[in-house]
Parts: sequence; structure tokens; C-alpha cells
Amino acid sequence: DPSKYKFRIMRQNLVESSEVLNEQIEIFTKLVQAHLKLTDSDFGDPTIQSQNVIYAVGRIVPDSPSAEGFLNEQSLSLETSRLNGIGRRIRLKLDNISDTSLFVGQIVALKGSNANGEAFLVEDILDMPYPDAPVSTEEDINLYKNSLKGESAKIVVTAGPYFPDNSLDISYLSDFVERVNNESKPHIVIMYGPFIDVTNSMIMEGRIPTFPHLKVQPRTLDELFTRLVLPILKNINPKIQVILIPSTRDVSSNHSSYPQDSFDRKGLQLPKNFKCFTNPSTFQLNETFFGCSNADIFKDMKEILKGGDISMRNRFDRIAEHMLQQRRFYPVFPGSLRSITVPAKNENSKKIHKHISGVDLEVSYLGLTEFVGNFAPDVIMVPSDMSPFARVVKNVVFINPGKFVKARGARGTHAQISICCPNLEDRKLTKLENDEVLYLHNVWKRSRVDIVGN
Amino acid sequence: HGSNSLQPLETTISDMERFKDSSNLELHCPNCSQQFVFGGVIASNFYQMCYNGLQCKKCEHIFTPIQLSCQLESIIRAHISLYYAGWLVCDDMTCGNVTRQISVFGKRCLNEGCTGVMRYRYSDKQLYNQLLYFESLFDCAKNKKQELKAVYYEGDKDYPKEKLSESSVMVLTEQNRELFEINRAVIEKYLSNCGRRYVDMGGIFDFMTN
Repeated sequence: DPSKYKFRIMRQNLVESSEVLNEQIEIFTKLVQAHLKLTDSDFGDPTIQSQNVIYAVGRIVPDSPSAEGFLNEQSLSLETSRLNGIGRRIRLKLDNISDTSLFVGQIVALKGSNANGEAFLVEDILDMPYPDAPVSTEEDINLYKNSLKGESAKIVVTAGPYFPDNSLDISYLSDFVERVNNESKPHIVIMYGPFIDVTNSMIMEGRIPTFPHLKVQPRTLDELFTRLVLPILKNINPKIQVILIPSTRDVSSNHSSYPQDSFDRKGLQLPKNFKCFTNPSTFQLNETFFGCSNADIFKDMKEILKGGDISMRNRFDRIAEHMLQQRRFYPVFPGSLRSITVPAKNENSKKIHKHISGVDLEVSYLGLTEFVGNFAPDVIMVPSDMSPFARVVKNVVFINPGKFVKARGARGTHAQISICCPNLEDRKLTKLENDEVLYLHNVWKRSRVDIVGN
Repeated sequence: HGSNSLQPLETTISDMERFKDSSNLELHCPNCSQQFVFGGVIASNFYQMCYNGLQCKKCEHIFTPIQLSCQLESIIRAHISLYYAGWLVCDDMTCGNVTRQISVFGKRCLNEGCTGVMRYRYSDKQLYNQLLYFESLFDCAKNKKQELKAVYYEGDKDYPKEKLSESSVMVLTEQNRELFEINRAVIEKYLSNCGRRYVDMGGIFDFMTN
């Protein structure tokens, strides 16, 4: 529900934030209990001494509130919920665990015991159940098939920045629009911000040139968008539907926390074929459910790995699995920060860290970053600074289209997705028969993703 | 309201007092990269307001409107982002816990045995005041009355060598009115979505609706 994102920002409340963090543990306690068919008495308070082996659900946290930098398997604690352990934290002993990947903010279900009151000896880390996949009725599938006329759905995905860090050269974007209109001709273009990035170094240092081709020079960054970027976006063929998803670094949004409200389409003077969606957002195109989030979890998640088998696996796959199991698009807490080191003003103090940006989590609204309806989208797209990829993880297609332009001005990438028209005859959809006949979309079997250079 | 309820009505506090913890507006010259503090239409060794804008004294470059407003906007955003970094501090002086960890009991200190109360280090009041401080710098009336918070004090290394007469301040402010309005609009963009500005009003007029 997009209207829920229309809250005013800059008004954090610590008690509300903590209620949300507590709720996350309690939701997962119920989920684990139902999934593993455990009774209330199987769960215990892991922070108090007991000889019994118990189940406990909690959040992975560092063993010290002042912990900084990289953590390891010896420096982790489990935070309990208000109900289960009056919010106390207990150090974890992971000696008996051979293969695992943990991260700060993760909700885990553990089996083990606290024999001496000092630490919880973990015997088993239980797998969190994966969320269900979305389904459609026979009627709906036929409807989508007819509207596509048997053709594949074509979607192009880009992610900002659209300018390099050292120039306001917009030619890559205009070249791209040309290609979209004349070559790739997709049904839909999904564009992620930042369109104009407040952390671009030219903007931070005021080095904005004059634009000889513009009659009226922009006086603000908002005008820079309307005079420079908007005319190019307007060139996109009006038959192509364009979806814009903001970044918290976007100048064109005054809602700079995550979860983030959508751009104001009318305020930005965008044409009618443009739709502005929230960050994150989940939406349906024909049968396919897309989950879109613009918070760089693939860069920000710092795993604590133990064991050779898990370390050998692809890191993006592990993070994708974590996201699915945690059922939210940015499960790391606290979120990432980005700062630069600048020389101190007076000579006798050391260098200082200057805050630049971060994921800027609005903790009391993190509920809006959870998977809608508790099911996993068919396709999850999270742009990242890491190298672009398209991977199938647990039957979900994960895509990082890569940055549109690299910082130094080299051409970046975008993603092209084509999804075969759903067809009940070709047996690519899985039939589920309960009270009602429903079909799994199996988008991972029917789609092709290309990462294309711009 | 709570702890705020016994404080004087905020409109009666002078800007000097209200903005005492606010950070300066630090600008870069886009031409020579000199960094300096912008404090409105005041005397400074680094910049001057001339009849057609903000001028760097080192290289004499006159900022285009966007070269000023883009820095203001990116600084505002850095402040909002720092606020959302969510650093907490413990109010117990003997504890001094500074962390971004939040207990499921938000106000509880995570240091063992500490009974202190945690609070956001960068409070929403502080952020709101920071935005109001930036707004004051581009407020023509305040500039003319010379009511702005001082950025230099006598004895400072950078204390301006020359003074600016009252009549120059009046004239230069008027000549830069449009430029100042542009920057005020940038600040207003963020103030208009600032929860603090609205929630308190709701609280004040609660009695009328109940």
C-alpha cells in the first residue's frame, strides 16, 4: 500500500524503533514454531543457566555495543525478545557448528544450551523456512496470455547514477533512450535512482558547469533534473511504460530515508507513461511478481562465515538466500554508513571521518520493507555497486543490473529480461491442486536475463 | 513533549541560543577549491556578497546560483543521513556508551549493569534547528537586522580584517534577494517533509479537537 510510505521523515522515536526490532523476533518465533511443529515448552530463555537443551529465536548482534569493524564467530551474541528473555543478550559459542553464515541483524533459530550462564552453546542452527511462491488461477493465466498475444514480456532495467562523478555528460542516457526506442523496444523500462546523486563529488563541491545548450541555466538541483534529465526521459516512446524507483541519494526526492516514498510524478513533470513506485516496492506485471529494492544489500551484508563448504559457495547466492529467509529486502541492522576521511582542522588532532551517506533506515517503518503477503517475488531486483549479475536462487530470479555509468565515466550496464508468455499447454507452469486449481509461475524456467553494456 | 515541556516557548529563544550547537555552512569555491564558512551577508576574509552573488575572495570567482544551492542541498542531505545513521548515547556520564545498536527495550543501555538511558545523539530537534539555522542565513530580514549567529569571534585566527557597514549589509542583502529566495526554497523542500514541524503543532492544538 503506497500510502503507507507517505510519512514525514526526521522524527525518529527510539521506543517505536525498538518495538519493531522486538516484533521481528516475535514474528519469527511464531513462524519457526509452526514450521518445526514445536510447542511453547520447547522454547526457553537462552540467557539464563539451565541444563536443558532448548530452542531459542533471536537476533544476531555483536557481543559488545561498541564493537567496530569486522566481527568473527567468537564475537557474536544473541538478542532475545522482550517476551522470551526480557531483551537480554547472551554470548554465542559456535564451536560445534561446522558450516554457517551469519550476519548482524539476522533473526536465527538456535538449538542448544546455556550450561554456565555465561554463553549459549549452539548445537544446531535451524533453517528458516523459505516463503511461498506466488500463484495464479487458470483464468488469470489465460488473461495474461491473451494480453501478451503469445509474445514474451520484455523488460529493461537500469540503475543510477546516470552521470559519472566528474562530468554532467548526459549523452549515455540519450544514447540509451535511442536504443530502447529503436532496438530493444521493451514493454517496460524500470529505472532506479539516483538520477541526480547528492553525493556526486561535483555536486558536493559545487563544481557545476554552465550548460551552453540551455537557454535558461538551472539554479537548483531540482531545476537541473527538469532542464537536463527530464527532456531525455520524455523522449522514451510513450507506448513504453516506464517505472521509476527512487534512491535515498536522489535529489528529486525529499523523502531520503528507507523505506522511501515514491517520486512525485506531477511535481517532476513526468509524462503519463511514467509510473513512480516506492522503494522498496512489489508489483505484478502480467503474472510475474517483481520485488524491487534500492538499498545495496549485496554490498552491505558482511557475513561471518564458518566452514569450508559455505565459504566455497557464491557470495551473492548466500545473500539472496538470507534475504529470502529473512523475508525482507534489507535484513542487515544497523544499516551501512559511508564516510570519507578528511584532514583535521587543527594540527594536533587526527584525521576525522566525515559522514557522507548510508542506507538511512527508518527503523520504525521497517515493516514496509518486508515481503508483501509473506510470499517471495518471482523476480527480485536490487541494484548494487558490486559486479552485475543474474542468478536463480531457490527458484527466484535475482538481478543486479549494475550501474548505468561508472564513477570515472566508463560505460556501465543494464539488464534485459524476457519472460516467455505463460501457457497452460507447455507444461512449464506447475499445477497445484488443493481446493482450487492454481499454478506456480516458474518464471525462473521461462525467463532469460542478459546483462548488456550501455 | 516530556522533557521539552518546561522549556521556554521556542519562538522566544534568540537565534544565538537556538543555533549554538548547529554546524556551520561550509562551502567550496568551485574554481579554486578554497573552503570557507558561509555566514550570510557578513564580513569575511574568504568571501563577499557582491551585487551579483557570492564571490570567492581568493580567486574572485562569482558562484552561479546552482554552485551555491547544490552545496547547500548536499550538506542538508548529509545532515539528514547522519541523523539516520542512528547513533545513540547513554546519558550516564560514567558509562559513555556510544553505539548504533538498539536494544528491544529502546532506552535500555546495553552495557552490563548500566542504568543509564539511551537517546539519539543527533536528535530530531537538533536536526530541525540545523535546517532553521541554514534558513536564517538566507533570510533577508535577519541579514539586514544583523541577527545571524556569529561565525567569527574576536581573537579567532580568521576574524575578518575589514568590517561591513550597516548600509552595505542592507544594500547587498536586497541585491541578493532572489539568490537567497532560491536557497530558502531548497531548505523549505526539506522542512516541508520534516516530522518535527508538524507533530508539535498537533500536540499544541490537541485540546481543541478532544
